[in-house]
Amino acid sequence: MTDLPPYNSIKQQLQACRSKEETFKALVALSKRLTRLTAEEKTEENRVKGCESAVWLIIDNKDDTYSIKADSDAKLMRGVLVAILSLVQGKTKTERQKMDLKDELESLNLGSYLTQSRANGILAIIEKIKK
Amino acid sequence: MAFDPHSLRQDFPILSQQAYDHPLVYLDNAATTQKPLSVLDAIQDYYRSFNANVHRGAHYLSDNATTRFEQARDTVARFINAPEQSHIIWSKGTTEAINMVAYGLEHLLEKGDEILITSLEHHANLVPWQQLAFRTGARLRILPLTSQGEWEDEYASYFTDRTRIFATTQVSNAIGVHTPLQAMLTQAKQHNAFTLVDGAQAVAHYPIDVQALDCDFYVFSGHKMYGPTGIGVLYGKSHALEVLIPYQTGGEMVQHVTYQSTQFNTLPYRLEAGTPHIEGAIGLAAACEFLTQQDRHALLAWEQSLAHRVYTRLHKESHVAIYSPEKHTTLVSLSVPNIHTLDLNAYLDSQGIAVRAGSHCAHPLMSQLGVAGTLRASFACYNTLEEADRFCDVLLEAIDLLTDE
Ligand SMILES: Cc1ncc(COP(=O)(O)O)c(C=O)c1O
Repeated sequence: MTDLPPYNSIKQQLQACRSKEETFKALVALSKRLTRLTAEEKTEENRVKGCESAVWLIIDNKDDTYSIKADSDAKLMRGVLVAILSLVQGKTKTERQKMDLKDELESLNLGSYLTQSRANGILAIIEKIKK
Repeated sequence: MAFDPHSLRQDFPILSQQAYDHPLVYLDNAATTQKPLSVLDAIQDYYRSFNANVHRGAHYLSDNATTRFEQARDTVARFINAPEQSHIIWSKGTTEAINMVAYGLEHLLEKGDEILITSLEHHANLVPWQQLAFRTGARLRILPLTSQGEWEDEYASYFTDRTRIFATTQVSNAIGVHTPLQAMLTQAKQHNAFTLVDGAQAVAHYPIDVQALDCDFYVFSGHKMYGPTGIGVLYGKSHALEVLIPYQTGGEMVQHVTYQSTQFNTLPYRLEAGTPHIEGAIGLAAACEFLTQQDRHALLAWEQSLAHRVYTRLHKESHVAIYSPEKHTTLVSLSVPNIHTLDLNAYLDSQGIAVRAGSHCAHPLMSQLGVAGTLRASFACYNTLEEADRFCDVLLEAIDLLTDE
């Protein structure tokens, strides 16, 4: 978790992609930075509904320290999750609620990796993070 | 191989474009095929030259439109060897045709009756029957076909005296296997069940003869056989169509209406409420003509050789699991353990290759196979050997990129 790349560098990297193939490769590289969940953590309860691939999200909201963990069975989605986690980690609840997560993610130039069938899932993830 | 798809491709201008700076390779034909110029022209010609409502008669354009519309019905009837054009009912597609039958037969079903389908069905040939069972208290039973599609003697016990409806696909959209159609239809008939065959995945590839099949209903979609979207066909034997209660009512399907009652029209109009999809019917007829003008055996052999090529190349790769048969199929359905099909699909797409990843509207079948989804490359007559090879090359590249060291 602590070794997530800083969000700004992720953003730069993704925005620099000039083709669908480059974005694919960037997401694959990012996916490797994710700390995977254990089998026990991948419960039905932690699963985000609406994603075409399976996505799990665990948010620990106790005290002021906000910890968030996530995983997916699809690699590109794991890359997207790294971007999302990096964006929200360390932010307070008010900061998170003030952020326009959707707008921010759309600025990452992810094109079809974010749209259509995946979009519902991403929206569901954003909903969960905002709570 | 004698057949050369390159000249045929001239008829499909959509294919000669780039997708993300790569030549487009369209291998999602089981979802929908591209349309030849003759189909596009037929639709244009209708709007340019004789657009009018049909059956209301009484003027020059309407007469023309009506004639062409009824000729289209005749063309489709000949295409599947239906005895008469009144056996051809227009629908939106396969899904609507199955729903027309499921609603139309409801009045004949009683609690405890059985509706039998196979384990290889598309949701379109499953959910309407399941819901019909809910409404009537009938029982939905599943004939557990193997993914090889062979007939097993123990299947006979699934056909009982309570079996009122038997519905099966001819070819599985998800894994490309043929069902043991004749053996199943024979059983169903011995038990006097209504029989419905979902031909959605068959019509583009195999010549269809509904009289030889001898099923009560045969359904298919225009858009999967080089025709337009929004048009499909419900074929039925006379007695089978006669017993259907119209699923929709309104104009065009009536002979006489008073506030107290309505006298319905005769077939086929009784089952076609409202202004029909005229341009769709005309486009579908053009698609039938397109296919009829081809050497269909050569086309089929070509499509099967492409699927076989992919099968033989990928089958050697120990990490690729293939669910479609080795031979006699026009598609390849596969998965790679520990790699999500959506990820494979994304890379193929980034290289301009269109395939389909997912459950192919067949959730129960995916559970039976023990996978969340598969990647499906499905071929049509215009696909080339280079395209089949390119699919294999790029898939292997994708597997490399997605495999963790
Ligand atoms: C076997 C089968 N049945 C039914 C359908 C549904 O066809 P439509 O969506 O055109 O109604 C399809 C389409 O994918 C299919 O492959």
